[in-house]
Amino acid sequence: MSETAKAISDLFTERFGERVTVGDTQSGITTVEIEVDAWQEVCRALRDEEDFNFEQLTDLCGVDYLSFGQSEWDTEDASQEGFGRGVESLGPGRFDWASRPEAGDMKQRFGVVVHLLSFRHNRRLRIRCFAPDEGMPIVPTLVEIWSSANWYEREAFDLFGIVFEGHPDLRRIMTDYGFTGHPFRKDFPLIGNVAVRYDELKGRIVYEPVEIEPRVTVPRVLRDDSRYKSDEVDQAADARAEEIAAAQGEDKDG
Amino acid sequence: MGINNPVPLAEVDDILRPSADANPLMDRGFAVTSIDALLNWARSGSMWPMTFGLACCAVEMMQAGAARYDLDRFGVIFRPSPRQSDVMIVAGTLTNKMAPAFRKVYDQMSNPKWVISMGSCANGGGYYHYSYSVTRGCDRVVPVDVYVPGCPPTAEALIYGILQLQAKIRRESTIAR
Repeated sequence: MSETAKAISDLFTERFGERVTVGDTQSGITTVEIEVDAWQEVCRALRDEEDFNFEQLTDLCGVDYLSFGQSEWDTEDASQEGFGRGVESLGPGRFDWASRPEAGDMKQRFGVVVHLLSFRHNRRLRIRCFAPDEGMPIVPTLVEIWSSANWYEREAFDLFGIVFEGHPDLRRIMTDYGFTGHPFRKDFPLIGNVAVRYDELKGRIVYEPVEIEPRVTVPRVLRDDSRYKSDEVDQAADARAEEIAAAQGEDKDG
Repeated sequence: MGINNPVPLAEVDDILRPSADANPLMDRGFAVTSIDALLNWARSGSMWPMTFGLACCAVEMMQAGAARYDLDRFGVIFRPSPRQSDVMIVAGTLTNKMAPAFRKVYDQMSNPKWVISMGSCANGGGYYHYSYSVTRGCDRVVPVDVYVPGCPPTAEALIYGILQLQAKIRRESTIAR
């Protein structure tokens, strides 16, 4: 932990005590986890108090930790020639609505991550809190502290279904009118539930149940590129092919 | 540059080419043609596209319209209104939310009208084919005349598509059926 990070850590522990947990520092930005009950109170202090003075909220987003740490394909034994893309059929998002995975009673599934900027101290900060209830995650709003949180919270509500208590206008902001579900949740099927098409008879756009099957698009990888041939089997095969070609050439000449 | 003016397909094209050997106006002082050929000459020579840039393809469309490739040479002048447009270039990803607005703009264009679908997303969803929010091809919403492949297509590819549409328009017959 660098000196600045240590100083910030001490500052937080001294001021807020048990309500915050100072995490690690990445690229000079320290992550601080805040109890959801103290969310608004701590944020107000972060904005107003001389030691912190975070005048600006630069970003707010939701996170769904349902499949956190699971990878879709294995890269551990990756060689220079690339790695296998054997993809599990029920990877993130690759299912339809009927066969979506059960969330279960996971603790701390939805998080809200906020990035703050202090002009006075030329310092940035990342704060995070976890929504308490997994069925309907509720987090207090930050709109009255930083007004820039308004549309960010609408976005997090739209995509993750995190309800921001006290938000003045919590409507969907990005998805289609009449959209159901929260598409960035890990148990939301990537293909969605509806598809649109223009109906000549009705003279308008109609919504129909989605007709495609969920599928993983696997990039086509050239595996037998001769530039990367290294092992003995390949070299033996090459030598044999050359022999055959030479023999055929002789036959033609003869 | 490798890009030339369209090759004349009918005699009436030579009206615009005073130096051409077979220019009927220079030669005889008048030109004889069919009304269909005249209509097609006029239509294919002034295709005004509705500017419908939806994503990154729009940047290539701008490039095609800018100084280097200069779509004005083909009589292609971008219009901000569907009422003044003959052709719509769908440049980019068409989402479900945009589809009704897209259809409305198409309906507001006056006949005859054509549609160029530009790029993988407009052709069939492309990269976002398996997405919950993207229309899998703008031909689910409007009839398409020319598909330009690419992700995004180069400005040259778009111009090739426009020339293909010009050739298609010249084959149409409005009067003689």
